[in-house]
Amino acid sequence: MLRVSRRVAACLSILASAQAAVDVSPATAPRMEFTPLAPGTYQLQAIQSVEDATLLDERARPVRLSAFTRGKITLLTFFYTYCVDPLGCPFARQTMTLLRDRMLRDRELARAVRFVAISCDPGTDTPDVLARYARHFAPDSRFEWRFLTARSVSALLPVLADFGQDVSVDVDASGRATRALHHMLKAFLIDQRGRVREIYSLAYLQPQVMLNDIRTLYLERRARALPAK
Amino acid sequence: MRQSSRRAAVVANVCVCFGTAVPNALADETCNSPYISNLIKGQEDFVHVWTLGVEGLGDGSDKLVTVDANPASKTYGKVVDSVSVGGRGEAHHMGFTDDRRFLWAGGLDDSEIHVFDVGTNPSKPKLIRTITNLPAKTQFVGPHTFYALPGRMLIGNLSNTADQGGVTGMALYNNKGSLIARYDMPTASLGGVKGDGYGYDIAINPAKNVLLTSSFAGWHNYMRELGDLIKDAEAMKHFGNTMVVWNLKSMRPTQVLSVPGAPLEIRWSLAPGQNWAITAAALTAKLWLIKQGEGGAWSAREVGTIGDPAQVPLPVDISITAAGKGLWVNTFMDGTTHYFDLTDPEHPRQTYQRRIGTQVNMISQSWDGKRVYMTSSLLAHWDKKGADNEQFLRAFNWDGHALTPAFEVDFTKEKLGRPHHMKFTARANQSRTLAALAR
Repeated sequence: MLRVSRRVAACLSILASAQAAVDVSPATAPRMEFTPLAPGTYQLQAIQSVEDATLLDERARPVRLSAFTRGKITLLTFFYTYCVDPLGCPFARQTMTLLRDRMLRDRELARAVRFVAISCDPGTDTPDVLARYARHFAPDSRFEWRFLTARSVSALLPVLADFGQDVSVDVDASGRATRALHHMLKAFLIDQRGRVREIYSLAYLQPQVMLNDIRTLYLERRARALPAK
Repeated sequence: MRQSSRRAAVVANVCVCFGTAVPNALADETCNSPYISNLIKGQEDFVHVWTLGVEGLGDGSDKLVTVDANPASKTYGKVVDSVSVGGRGEAHHMGFTDDRRFLWAGGLDDSEIHVFDVGTNPSKPKLIRTITNLPAKTQFVGPHTFYALPGRMLIGNLSNTADQGGVTGMALYNNKGSLIARYDMPTASLGGVKGDGYGYDIAINPAKNVLLTSSFAGWHNYMRELGDLIKDAEAMKHFGNTMVVWNLKSMRPTQVLSVPGAPLEIRWSLAPGQNWAITAAALTAKLWLIKQGEGGAWSAREVGTIGDPAQVPLPVDISITAAGKGLWVNTFMDGTTHYFDLTDPEHPRQTYQRRIGTQVNMISQSWDGKRVYMTSSLLAHWDKKGADNEQFLRAFNWDGHALTPAFEVDFTKEKLGRPHHMKFTARANQSRTLAALAR
């Protein structure tokens, strides 16, 4: 079992002070030196399906992961609330916030999309912590942005394995886990049928490309919804 | 950033809490996809060598050989592990997955793809999976380049199941080993140049949304004795003469570029503001610059000569420095490595050369450029014969002016085989996987 602090108040205190120090400047962002293809002019391959699992939502209710990876177009990331790497979780959150704000200009599109963030430190990121985090960082009620955790590391591991999401933890001299987590930043774009259609690591976190990919899936969804002639 | 090892500064696209800013890593220490995690910017601990089996030598099988490369280690310069795959399939190239936990290694003859876990314990890689469906599912054979994309592996192939010639394509697998898609190399005209359908290397620049491919030869040529092949004028016509520019997002070819003489390895300069890649054409011994013009179109231009082309030095592997200011080029036939100053990529200038052995093929340098590793084998049927068939891993230190030998492993004496492609790993002494901690 990952031995980390459960002091929620302390964690949020650290979080608040750390966030203030984050400065994601354009110089460190992924570069995009091209005009992206228009939505619907290309195909996104089906990379893998998503295995179901039981997680916890922000109200500590057991939920099926499939309820958050089907029915809508989903952008899913793994994160932890106290990450302060400016090119890590905060950067992903900033990119997703930008995407949400862009999508909210098209209400129909915004209703067809959700964001899901799954904590990779369930010991610290309890439902209560996630609820506070969500209120602080994703407060727009017009858009579904959900934060999930797990009952235990053991319950989380199959989800991490399915997505191929590596997570490691620094240990101290006595072998005890510290609060230093490492994971490769990835965002998974999932279609309404629960299939991963694109994966973005840092170099590919290009908001306009991501928005066009989402719109490409949205056009697919609309085409499928049209009655057959 | 926090270091996950006292000996290796392993950084890149990795979230680290309490960390300081991690610069966007712009290139890898060798010819990896540079957009993967855990680039080793300090001292590598291990060099993994994908090695061709030799009948009658040891177990005769292709194998992943692990050599200790850390001078501070008691086993520095020694073979610390060897994992045989139980057959001989012309081991050639390999590539890390995006998270650098696994190495995919291919066989050019049997078209098998072996997946090794090098993340759990890099000193003892484990063979966890062998993918055998490439020919049946794609009609391609000869998996050559393994290039990581997020969550998946793009594989550049050399040949096909129908006639074992050079017309081929790329295969895209997810990291679980399932085929996602196949892509034919173009044979039509694009941008005024007709595609030859041949394939070899893959190199991606996400900032440009561009994938470049190069072209070599089919199974009939690369599995044939070199001495016979070069006497066969008809067979010598069947080498690639093109490179292809692809739209990475759509995976559609947008331009075919004329690059005669079998353009092989491709390296992007990934320094901010740069818009070029470089390759070496094996049969003509020329360096070619692939550059984007102001209108957005790409062009290929010969910019340099490697050795004396009349002597057919056969440039094979190349290695670009992290800053894109220097290029190592190995020439197989004369066993020589050449260093070019790439400060002006339009006019590469050779500033150093050294004979490494009777034959030399692959070259990999550390991120800081201070350590350079070379292996000897090109292809089982193209390697030299008799006393000239030296088979080695030779490591050197580079001070910017000269190479100084550091260590070497005699792969024949050690009964290992023909050493080919190399990849580096580092220990993660201070970190454990979440799974390990949960046990």
